[in-house]
Amino acid sequence: MAQLPDQTIHRDPQLFYWILVPITVVMVLTGILRHYASVLLATPSKIIDRPTMKEQRSLIHGQTVRNNHHVLSKKSFEARREVLINAYESGAYLKNGAGKDQAPTNPLTDPGAMDGMMGMMKNNMAMIIPNTLIMSWISAFFSGYVITKLPFPITIKFKSMLQAGVATKEMDPRWMSSISWYFLCIFGLQPVFVFLLGSDNAASQMAQQMGQMGPPPNQPMLGAGPDTNKQFLGEAENIAVIDHYSVLDDVELRLLKGIKG
Amino acid sequence: MEQSVARPQSELAPGEVLKLAQLAPSILRNIPKSFSSSLLLSLFSASETPEIWTAYENLLLACCRTGDMESAREFLERLVLRFGNDNERVLAFKGLVKEAAADNQGELVQILKEYETILGPTTTNIPVAKRRVALLRSMGKTSEAIEALNDLLDYSPTDAESWAELADIYLSQGLYPQAIYSLEEVLVLTPNAWNIHARLGEVLYMAASSSDTLRQKHLTESVKRFSRSIELCDDYIRGYYGLKLATGKLLKDPPKVSMHAESGDWIPPDTTTTEKLNELATKKLAEIVRRNLAGEPLWQGYKPSEIAAARELLEKDSADLVR
Repeated sequence: MAQLPDQTIHRDPQLFYWILVPITVVMVLTGILRHYASVLLATPSKIIDRPTMKEQRSLIHGQTVRNNHHVLSKKSFEARREVLINAYESGAYLKNGAGKDQAPTNPLTDPGAMDGMMGMMKNNMAMIIPNTLIMSWISAFFSGYVITKLPFPITIKFKSMLQAGVATKEMDPRWMSSISWYFLCIFGLQPVFVFLLGSDNAASQMAQQMGQMGPPPNQPMLGAGPDTNKQFLGEAENIAVIDHYSVLDDVELRLLKGIKG
Repeated sequence: MEQSVARPQSELAPGEVLKLAQLAPSILRNIPKSFSSSLLLSLFSASETPEIWTAYENLLLACCRTGDMESAREFLERLVLRFGNDNERVLAFKGLVKEAAADNQGELVQILKEYETILGPTTTNIPVAKRRVALLRSMGKTSEAIEALNDLLDYSPTDAESWAELADIYLSQGLYPQAIYSLEEVLVLTPNAWNIHARLGEVLYMAASSSDTLRQKHLTESVKRFSRSIELCDDYIRGYYGLKLATGKLLKDPPKVSMHAESGDWIPPDTTTTEKLNELATKKLAEIVRRNLAGEPLWQGYKPSEIAAARELLEKDSADLVR
């Protein structure tokens, strides 16, 4: 295949100053603005009240007793086993006391879940609104310009990505239109934001999109959370079936053997 | 210098604390007041590390202990600047500094009231709840402290520190069964802590000397606890010391056979085993004392007071033998 001659397009050098630089600057500024807006809008992390904490920690307590039962003597373990099973089965540790047969709360009416959803909404809004604005701004003012040439060769597949808005078949894919520069900025400015705002900034959209893909596992978004009462009953069963042994059973014999041997 | 400043320092002797507190002014001068998380600004100033905040907390405590209230307030101010006024730990430290500065009972009562308003009926501010317990205890209101601790442990039963404190308070009141229960809870949470095993052994030993009915049972378990602590930590002087005491006591009045061995209690070890254990403990203690006093480099980690106690025990023992 014959080597194609290098395409040269005579561009007005002013294009660089009036399109490339403004788009970049605007992108950086919106990033910074978004960071501070999300700091302002952030809901303070919720403080757990006592019943909730009691519910969570009692479950953990039961699990630790089950896992480490071997440090206790048989009698102490039996006493704890009885207390724990009774409390678990009667629902004494439950957040809302005796109401243990209640249906799982509807997430749309539960104010706790609503808070989480509001947070998501705010994040989404902070992302969507500026994006739409800038997008329409760019396509209104700068669509159809070829503004720069990448300093490295790339394959033909990139043509549709880099030359969005410029429908010229023969043009080398290295030429970029303003819309593609905008997309490059979206994906490429993360290190700049880290440099300017610190590593835990909220400016980058990429990070937020990542965050949305996997919500934190201990915070079920919609649908019923795990039924705590069922967890308690399961734990009660686990504790009930333990065949108790103690690490102290033959410890003095082990000690004598170990030290001598 | 940074190293010792950033280490937890609950065990420091007064002299060491004084040394630490004297470092405070120079540290305050050398480290800037606040940090920025941005890379751009950190080009111009020192960067923030987690150790600094630990060091600040430690120095704050040291300054409170030595009465350097000015530096203590400065540290507190920096912590407030970084973590905000409503941070749980910061609230506790604020109270602590006030406690250290208070010089009469009235002010302490005032601080106590402040803690209670912070805590309210349903908040879970554990650092402040612990401060309240500590303040109640140091004001001599032991029963209220016990009540507050039990309240705290009701909603946070996985807090080993609180269980240990509760055990200590119960022990100071001579309530052995309660203290034993609390220490067992600590062990459930930290199953391999040899110091807690040894501590439980000590409490069981004390309980054995106080009651006659459960004497045999407590002594047996005490021996087992000490053995376990040695098993977990070789050359643990407290474990050997307790083992020697407990086995010695078991040997003095040997277990009556056909004691109530029902209900899954441990049967006391037979006499030969007990003798062997006692012998082992004596030998080990003697070795530790000898090597420590001879200045062998790997045997210098013991506290002088522990060595002295072990020596005294050994001397008493040999004096008994001579007689």
